[in-house]
Amino acid sequence: MTKDIFVIVEHRRGEVRDITFELLTKGYELSRDRGKLLAVLLGFQNEKIIDKLKPFAETILNIDDERLKEFNAEYYQIVLSNLLQEKKPFITLLGQTAFGIDFAPSLSTAIDLPYSSDCLDLEIENDTVFTERQIYGGKINSRISLAENWGYLVSVRPGSIAPRDVELVAEVVDVSSPIKEDIDYRKFMQYVEAAKGEVDITQSEVVIGIGRGIKEDKNLSMMEDFAKSIGGVLACSRPVVDAGWLTKDRQVGSSGKTVKPKLYIAVGISGAFQHVMGMKGADTIVAINKDPNAPIFTVANYGIVGDLLQVIPKLNEKITELKGA
Amino acid sequence: MNDILFGCIQCGRCTGGCPVSVRSALNIRKLIYRSLIKIKNKSKDLGIWECTTCSTCSIRCPKGVDVVDYIIDLRSDEIERGKVQPQVRDTLESVFKFGNPWGRIREKRADWLEGNGVRILQPGDKTRFLYFVGCTPCYDTRTQEIARAMVRVLKTASCDFAILGIQETCCGNEVKRMGEVGLFEMLVEENTKLFKKFDIGTFFTTSPHCFNTFKNEYIDLDFVIEHYTTLINRFIKEGRIEPRGKFEKRVVFHDPCFLGKQNDIYEEPRELLRSVPGIELFEFERSRERSLCCEGGGGRMWVETESDEERLAVTRVKDAAVLEVDVIATACPFCLLTLEDAVKTSNLEDSIKVMDIVEILDEALGLKDEEERVPEYQNTRSSDSKQSQ
Amino acid sequence: MNIAVCIKRVPETAEAAVNIDSSEKHIIPDQLVFDINEADNYALEEALLLREKTEGDITLFTVGSKESDEVIKMGLAKGATRGVRITPENLDNLDAYAVAKLLAEQVKEGNFDLILTGCISSDVGNSQVGVTLAELLGIPHATLVIKMGIEDGFATVQRELEGGLLEELKIKLPALFTIQTGINEPRYASILGIKRAAQKELRVIENITAEGMKAEVVKMYYPPVGKMAEILEGGVEEVSGKLCEILKGKGLL
Repeated sequence: MTKDIFVIVEHRRGEVRDITFELLTKGYELSRDRGKLLAVLLGFQNEKIIDKLKPFAETILNIDDERLKEFNAEYYQIVLSNLLQEKKPFITLLGQTAFGIDFAPSLSTAIDLPYSSDCLDLEIENDTVFTERQIYGGKINSRISLAENWGYLVSVRPGSIAPRDVELVAEVVDVSSPIKEDIDYRKFMQYVEAAKGEVDITQSEVVIGIGRGIKEDKNLSMMEDFAKSIGGVLACSRPVVDAGWLTKDRQVGSSGKTVKPKLYIAVGISGAFQHVMGMKGADTIVAINKDPNAPIFTVANYGIVGDLLQVIPKLNEKITELKGA
Repeated sequence: MNDILFGCIQCGRCTGGCPVSVRSALNIRKLIYRSLIKIKNKSKDLGIWECTTCSTCSIRCPKGVDVVDYIIDLRSDEIERGKVQPQVRDTLESVFKFGNPWGRIREKRADWLEGNGVRILQPGDKTRFLYFVGCTPCYDTRTQEIARAMVRVLKTASCDFAILGIQETCCGNEVKRMGEVGLFEMLVEENTKLFKKFDIGTFFTTSPHCFNTFKNEYIDLDFVIEHYTTLINRFIKEGRIEPRGKFEKRVVFHDPCFLGKQNDIYEEPRELLRSVPGIELFEFERSRERSLCCEGGGGRMWVETESDEERLAVTRVKDAAVLEVDVIATACPFCLLTLEDAVKTSNLEDSIKVMDIVEILDEALGLKDEEERVPEYQNTRSSDSKQSQ
Repeated sequence: MNIAVCIKRVPETAEAAVNIDSSEKHIIPDQLVFDINEADNYALEEALLLREKTEGDITLFTVGSKESDEVIKMGLAKGATRGVRITPENLDNLDAYAVAKLLAEQVKEGNFDLILTGCISSDVGNSQVGVTLAELLGIPHATLVIKMGIEDGFATVQRELEGGLLEELKIKLPALFTIQTGINEPRYASILGIKRAAQKELRVIENITAEGMKAEVVKMYYPPVGKMAEILEGGVEEVSGKLCEILKGKGLL
């Protein structure tokens, strides 16, 4: 019996999301000597998306239904529970994203599929599925095994797999939509853009990211001074937005913006993966943190272990000197 | 409502003396008036979180009304309802969870030692002197310097002293003044229980805030409680510490409210400063019982002021600039931080330095340089401290 | 309106070192400080804010050891009506599915209009329990909710997607929402309030065994030391100088 790998395609507003290509890369690797790699596409008028996917999968299962135009966990569950029970793929991969988080747990429950979420990697040993996860804010890893079953559901953390071109030419198989009637208990209404601020942090060559380590909003002005003297803009991690110190448009990370500046200085940021997702593409990364074990130091090129309240003023002074000279 | 308020004759001396009334909505006379005629007070409009609990009002009241306690009661009402500034919430939660208001873990409480040898008390131990460092000098990098200076100075007195290391827990002085009565009681109980494990002769603190609450608000402690200024001043008088070296600077002393106004200690810090050769000591126009509060007390280290008016610490620093002093000396970590901040915002960093008295003594004695010359002296990194406990 | 809030007691590991015990399947909790899971705290606050507008009860549920009473009591002090703590015999090897199943058994009796929980736990971070619970109860759900309004038996919620984009949904009650941090400003629970909360109802479900686990921790290990930043050594003055030189050398200053 072949053991196929399914990848649930993630797309929004007509664009395939990066996670899909990461999953297809992993899916291709897992499917070798086992079975086929199939991309499962739920959407409406999918032609453009299909073109993008073709080189990355062997088969595209295309489910085209107007009610799948926007993501809706309820419709996804109807389609996928039917499809998975019928085709019985060995492993179904999806992203640990706002999309995957919203439908995978209920899908796994509905059709009794063992599910491991937010995985950095997975391995198959003698038909047993093992996943690697990060827990306790990245300070511990854990290896999980899933109970024996015909198939498994695994969601993968975005950015944990480097996507590769696999140069396939997918065959497109249309699958008729099993959705019978409209659902009235969950309706997609609209997209809402977060309020735009004065500064576009994605456009700056130097970005200073501040995090929980700032401790008090009165230290903001010191950071603003620093950003100004180094010629950059101030950005932040989620806790700073939650505290109301900076606006949402300054947030770097998976639920905020992705920046790729020449220089990113992370100040008082521990380096939770949600933040790292948004800044790891910077050319040079400097981290300043008082916890020598903070995960941010595994992402940074240069690190200073110290108190930002001491380091920043001194750094500011030196930079001002240098620039003045 | 508080019965004690009935003594109030609405003379207004409290408000007249209140240092923050000029720069905020806080008007104590009006606050009491409204309470007496039972108008419901809305704290935000009345600025109860602006109060620094400096106690000038209570000291000046001719009828002995304890005004500060009344403000603390009003804060308690808000604490009980739970709707307080996020910073206040986080501070109190931190004290509850970690035993300090700075959100730092207990394991790092003794990191300020940087590998210096100081005896850490173990249950059953006896010590002639116990140095209670306090949360701020334990964790804040600037005021850690005070604690390290203290250790160097004490070592020259060759006295038997020890610290509590990571067993040390917040004293609760600020917690009480933020109105968190339950948490304060919990700290009193836990600290009292902890201290009973040791045989302590004299207990002394870096901060007048810790000193104040241990001395006046803990009822079951059976040892002498002092602020370090009185202790070290005595050591100098007894000749156990001999201030050699020189500190040739113009110095003005800023009275911490919790040392002066609330505990009547005015002379010892001045005597201590005068005993250091070279110091030319100045006085602020407003000093001793009339000293201007720095706004660091009463939980104000963690409460954002609503006012845009000039901070009192800035006023204080400007007054110091008029006196043309080189150094503002104080004997309280909060005063040091607020004044130092004010020096920076006033762009006076090049002309005025803020120092704790013990730092001045340490510098005069040349102890810091001496230590740095010792070749085997090593800076051990923070994370090792856990294993050493 | 009756609201259920599912909360969890988790260790604070932002600054603390986390160590693994000899079984290699659990961490050593001794040195750690515990608190309510951050996102759950926002879920609780959202319930309290809703209750200020409408009549009804708030019931807290948790699956955990006896120590979890701490976070239940904290929630009761803030204004929740009652708490339910579920402590199965095999507490140590539950997976997210088993936790959701234990919760479902209790929650289904309560006739709740709304069930709230945090969108992620800061310890193991599966983001599974809420949605699994909704499925077991047969009610609709939405995750990562950052804004919520309730009217005429429907909730209008905004979900936080990637890249600062939000998605607005209309969902029929009863429903389950997993709450994202930052949706509100959680209140403070005073110590006296927590002590008084001891008088409120706290039901304990014990002597049961959880079943149906599908995921098992094989082992925990410390993350391999991968690429590390070049840590600049020295005092503040020295490291600041070194960094400036590096940045200058790269033409970044």
